[in-house]
Amino acid sequence: MQLFLQILANGVLLGGLYTLMALGLALVWGVLNIVNLAHGAFIMLGAYACYYLFTLGHIDPFAALPIGAIGLFGIGYATQRCILNLVMRAPIFDTLLITFGLEVVFTYLAQLAFSADFRTINPSYAGANVTVAGITFPLVRIAAFVIALGLTAVMWLLLLRSRLGRAIRATAQNLTAARLYGAEPRHLYAITFGLGAALAGAAGGLYGVVSQINPYIGATLTAKSFAISIIGGLESPLGVIVGGLALGIVESLTALYIGPTFTNVASFGILVLVLIIRPTGLLGRTT
Amino acid sequence: MIRRLLFAALAGIALPSALHAEDILLGASVQLTGSTANTGRYYRDGYEFAIDKINATGGVQAGNAHQKLALKLYDNQSDVNLSVQQYVRLVSADKVNFLLGPFASNFALADSAVSEKYEIPMVQGGGASDQIFNRGFKYIFGTLPAASDYFSSTVEMLAKLEPKPTTVALLYADDAFDVAVADGTRPLVKKGGFTLALDERYSSNTSDFSSLLSEIKSRNVDAVLVAGHETEILNFVRQAKSLSVSPKFYSFTVGVPTADFRQALGADANWAFGMTPWLPSPQLKDPYFGDAEEFAKAYKAKFGYDPDYHAASAVADVEAFAQAIAAAGSLEPNKVRDALAKLDFESLDGRISFSEKGQIALPQTVIQIQNGNLVAVYGSKGFVEKPMYPMPPWSER
Repeated sequence: MQLFLQILANGVLLGGLYTLMALGLALVWGVLNIVNLAHGAFIMLGAYACYYLFTLGHIDPFAALPIGAIGLFGIGYATQRCILNLVMRAPIFDTLLITFGLEVVFTYLAQLAFSADFRTINPSYAGANVTVAGITFPLVRIAAFVIALGLTAVMWLLLLRSRLGRAIRATAQNLTAARLYGAEPRHLYAITFGLGAALAGAAGGLYGVVSQINPYIGATLTAKSFAISIIGGLESPLGVIVGGLALGIVESLTALYIGPTFTNVASFGILVLVLIIRPTGLLGRTT
Repeated sequence: MIRRLLFAALAGIALPSALHAEDILLGASVQLTGSTANTGRYYRDGYEFAIDKINATGGVQAGNAHQKLALKLYDNQSDVNLSVQQYVRLVSADKVNFLLGPFASNFALADSAVSEKYEIPMVQGGGASDQIFNRGFKYIFGTLPAASDYFSSTVEMLAKLEPKPTTVALLYADDAFDVAVADGTRPLVKKGGFTLALDERYSSNTSDFSSLLSEIKSRNVDAVLVAGHETEILNFVRQAKSLSVSPKFYSFTVGVPTADFRQALGADANWAFGMTPWLPSPQLKDPYFGDAEEFAKAYKAKFGYDPDYHAASAVADVEAFAQAIAAAGSLEPNKVRDALAKLDFESLDGRISFSEKGQIALPQTVIQIQNGNLVAVYGSKGFVEKPMYPMPPWSER
């Protein structure tokens, strides 16, 4: 029982990290209808930003997260404004190809700039934990979990309540009408994509604190984020939380009861199941 | 006129190939980019370093002529399928004389099929899996010791530690090399009188070990043996700390000997055990570099990082060809293949003498990170340095 509860706790905390990783992908996908295959590369760049701010700039990783996120916002904004805006009305296949290309470019530039050496963001508290009733909770993962929930809430509020959020949603729903009301789609698209990249940047910093960084981590993280977005649905940020937690818990329990070779089978198995039973995601609206 | 043109054209074709015939061309495809580029660089640098050194000392004597070595290298982007294509291109289009290997067992496993098919010998120092050598192939030779043997010195040492560990957990990734390690280790653990409390295979590139670690903790396992890749091992150690999992002993097949591992983990790298078939010792004499210590210094000066056993194996691959070509007195693949099979010389990597199956035997020295330094603790003649054991809980480190 003790072991089961520990594994469940591990799964929930892992799910928090997953949620944060997928948040940006789901936002861009849901609002812009772009499946950003370079999302994992943005996470990787965010991790490196945090790594260098910590090792060279001696800035605490948690203080470095917003700096990295702002940097990634800039990269994301520029990417959308200069490249992706050109193909916004083209079939989705074009954006898939372009973001795939961007992923390759970012990855190889990262290897040139940072080398293929493995890095970790290792502040003194990286391995700290608290034990409650015999169950160990790593502090950094709790922090990641809280940050994930916080950012989800902020994003939700932003999209629902702020003028900017309304403009973003209006543009996504009816381009012509939004234009008539004075919205600037090119700018709004770029802001949305930038927000997605910024969320990836923050996730990357946390990923570097709990795991290891190299230029090639991106592809698997994109795949995970993709699965989470599908499982949870793109309707609301809450779906991403449900998707992330579901994936984290299922993977952890699979590793314990079925065997660690089967974690990917389980996570992509759920993906297939969700697609069959609820194609709009667990929290998606059924039509 | 036509005849003259034809003659000129023929001369134009013949001229460069005549120049090339002076050089003995070695071909290889290694990981210069992609997920294993970090280890692939040892092979590129090792091959180039050995070729330059051998050429500087006069090249290779094949028959009456001294010939220089040259290298044709491709980047396989850490993609097995691409590396097979590139080896086919090396033998069919580039017409290389001989083949050097890629990094990693799953690559060597696939690529050795090309050398076998085209009957061109390949000497490789990147794949240790027994599977590579158990297929009765005649043209594949390996300068890494057998994967099944990696943990043998470690298990031998475990039996001599006080207090003696009783339960052992064996975790391994699901690729050719790590499965071979696990298959070799299982009987050793049983023979040593230990209980195998946990025997789990995980998928390569797993980044989350929290379930396995929690299981290790709940079963109170004494010694943990992990056969995996460096990224997984970094995650394993970091997550062990964050979940307060501290067995008395843990050892890893790869990563521990590299400078990268200590740099990435800092003080958390301490207490980790590992193994290496090679240390830069002055006792390892070499016909080209003097000895292994001198080699390591020259290598560090040239490339800016320390060589590990991958680099030493890469150098031994090139030296094996130089020696075998000289012994065969010819560049004919079959003759060189037979000379390789009979080879027996001392190199900076150890004694190069291939078994019937094509692999060399090197004892694995058990190593440990002690206070940030790589220390050899147990070799073929018993303890070298006192191992730091048992590992204290993370909270007391």
